Amino acid sequence: MSVEPFNKLVKLAARAFYDDITTKGDNQPKTGRSDNRGIAVVVLDALTRRQWVREEDLAKDLKLHSKQLRRTLRFFEEEKLVTRDHRKETAKGAKIYSAAVAATADGQPFGKEGEEKIKLHTHSYCCLDYAQIYDVIRYRIHRMKKKLKDELDNRNTIQEYICPKCDKRYNALDALRLVSEEDGNFRCESCNGELRAESDKFAAQEGGDGDDNARKRRREKLKSMLQNMETQLKPLMSQLDRVKDLAVPEFGTLQAWEARASAAGRAVNGDSSSNDPSKSSQVGYGGTPMPFLGDTKLYCDWVLNQAIFGLRLSNKAGLLSNAIMVEVAFAGAEGKEVDVKSDAATSLKVLPPWMIKQGMNLTKEQRGEVEQESKMDGSSATGGLSDDKKSTVEDDKKSLQARAMR
Amino acid sequence: MFFHIVLERNMQLHPRHFGRNLREHLVTKLMKDVEGTCSGRHGFVVAITGVDSIGKGLIRDGTGFVTFPVKYQCVVFRPFKGEILEAVVTMVNKMGFFAEAGPVQIFVSNHLIPDDMEFQSGDMPNYTTSDGSVKIQKDSEVRLKIIGTRVDATEIFCIGTIKDDFLGVINDPTTL
Ligand SMILES: [Zn+2]
Repeated sequence: MSVEPFNKLVKLAARAFYDDITTKGDNQPKTGRSDNRGIAVVVLDALTRRQWVREEDLAKDLKLHSKQLRRTLRFFEEEKLVTRDHRKETAKGAKIYSAAVAATADGQPFGKEGEEKIKLHTHSYCCLDYAQIYDVIRYRIHRMKKKLKDELDNRNTIQEYICPKCDKRYNALDALRLVSEEDGNFRCESCNGELRAESDKFAAQEGGDGDDNARKRRREKLKSMLQNMETQLKPLMSQLDRVKDLAVPEFGTLQAWEARASAAGRAVNGDSSSNDPSKSSQVGYGGTPMPFLGDTKLYCDWVLNQAIFGLRLSNKAGLLSNAIMVEVAFAGAEGKEVDVKSDAATSLKVLPPWMIKQGMNLTKEQRGEVEQESKMDGSSATGGLSDDKKSTVEDDKKSLQARAMR
Repeated sequence: MFFHIVLERNMQLHPRHFGRNLREHLVTKLMKDVEGTCSGRHGFVVAITGVDSIGKGLIRDGTGFVTFPVKYQCVVFRPFKGEILEAVVTMVNKMGFFAEAGPVQIFVSNHLIPDDMEFQSGDMPNYTTSDGSVKIQKDSEVRLKIIGTRVDATEIFCIGTIKDDFLGVINDPTTL
């Protein structure tokens, strides 16, 4: 049971679908400061390195506010990516989990009994549901494709009819009153002319008036959207293919997992010393152990977290300044602004290092920025972050000025 | 989709019904007035299943009619966009075909019939596949998906498609 291919799937899906998800209350104003886009990706990535995890612990590891994390997790629960379990437990009950976790990592004797309080706390746990994730992603892609294809094939569209004599238009919803008594064909209500289906006319004279042109443009747009989707989701789809015949990692319910983990832990602790370095490497940041994960490497979530946020912010700063230039250039042509901005977004998209493979055709920005940023954030993460924040604010100001000048 | 809902209606009753059978008369009249009607809001009223309450009557000036507010339970049928229905074909022409699912009429235009089915005119107009294995004609039973509804105050009309997975003929009258 290898988790790696599935983890890659989760990571790809996170970046494809949940990259710009914000999870916050509707009443909060949308400011640059409270923008937490990217958090979804960070949380999913962190979960790929864990099995069942207590949400408080995860929040601590990620240096996130537990409320914020809970909101994100609730969102993923709705998206069917994550299973959660809540239970009321005493201090002792909470230790069952700690014990399960501890047992799989190192043979530390856990908690002295007797100091428990009778007070009950509700603790929440979460875990990725790989089997469901696989289905959810496939379903999502299927729906996306089907929707575009249906529109391309004119499926589910309401047929229009036109009277060749007086140009009066009807559609399929009028069908009942258009049927003529004599021959069962559709006839015009005002001149009794036999109606023609609109698409027939469209096929007859390709690209006639403005109406047809609009249709054609729409078709082309749909086609290119479909193509873009195919190319952009290619890594995800090929990963789906790779995972297809593999056994899905199953962790079971929280209770089952705990039982299994502590049983396995007891077995391991029986025959190995507690200072085994290979074993201590299984302990994640903040002492959260990751049982069963065999070949996992040690990650520092927090650094990664900051790196991604740093990237995102600097990315946005670049975007904004681009947008300013664009705005000045197109002063007066308001309509084009949106398109150009989104173009800038796609062209400037910085790929995470693990996504970059040999032979990929990338700009230096896409490659280089990643390394530079993660280095900087790795060494002085907080400094880097606040600088980036500042620059976003400044860019905001600039864009305001640019607007004012117009 | 079918719903079991509670509706309210003001019933006018002629004075000649005032007597010990007043309630019966009221319920009979309610059924006669309401069952089989269609409102854009609730759909087709299929059947009344019970009368919850009959309020105090109000005598109309001049006529002697009495108005009773009546609360009743009923089953209504309201078609929705995206809903899958089974329907009987009632008419076929070159523009498509009409079908009925209970009280609701559905039109399927020819571009929403699979491309491999072609219109054949004649005294029994139909849509047939090139190998003749599938045929849609009057009285065929089809499964279709509603893609649009026109809801007026007193009428609901739908358009549907059979150009999708698992849609199309489910029962051919000629093979029965
Ligand atoms: Zn006409």
